[in-house]
Amino acid sequence: MHLINGPVTPGVISEIIAKGGENIECGAHSLFFGQVRRDQANGKFVRAIEYSAYEEMVITEADKIYKSILSEFDDVKTIEIIHSKGLVKAGEISLLVMVSAGHRDHAFKACAKTVELIKEKLPIWKKEIFEDNSGQWRENE
Amino acid sequence: MDISVLFFGILAEITGTNRKHYRDIISFGDLKQRIGDDFPEIVHYNFRIAVNNKIVNEDPLLRQYDEVAYLPPFAGG
Repeated sequence: MHLINGPVTPGVISEIIAKGGENIECGAHSLFFGQVRRDQANGKFVRAIEYSAYEEMVITEADKIYKSILSEFDDVKTIEIIHSKGLVKAGEISLLVMVSAGHRDHAFKACAKTVELIKEKLPIWKKEIFEDNSGQWRENE
Repeated sequence: MDISVLFFGILAEITGTNRKHYRDIISFGDLKQRIGDDFPEIVHYNFRIAVNNKIVNEDPLLRQYDEVAYLPPFAGG
């Protein structure tokens, strides 16, 4: 689990994909990218999201997510999670999940489950920043 | 007991701080009372409590130098 300052850049994404190639026993990598959406509220567009995190607890909770996914999906070999902290603009990536498995079935399912657990379990907060620099705290449903 | 209290998200904003130290705390109830006195508006918000990175129930047992965190609803992803 990595928390990085600012967006998950194409450079970071290619590094993770290249690292996946080191798992030669894997036949499938499933990737999820969470992107900052240009939502609209009260006639104003979101220009960015400011993320903050309880970093120590993010690491311990992510470890529990890894253990839970690896015990539920026995074909999964590795799980990579990268989440942003700080400011991420609309259209930029704030979350990357990559699940590598022997075969596609567990790769797809475990990737989806990992994203759900991230939203539910990781102590991360976001504030939408609008074009006029006003802000609004959001929470996951 | 000496207890560090961390505030996150909207709670850091309304308290105006990320971290505050409390001394001579005798129980979690006592700590809650002191925080409520310092930041009376906190009762209007939803939050969970973690002690040393673990989410706990209503009335956790505190120990010297524990770190207590006030966690608003999560919003990762």
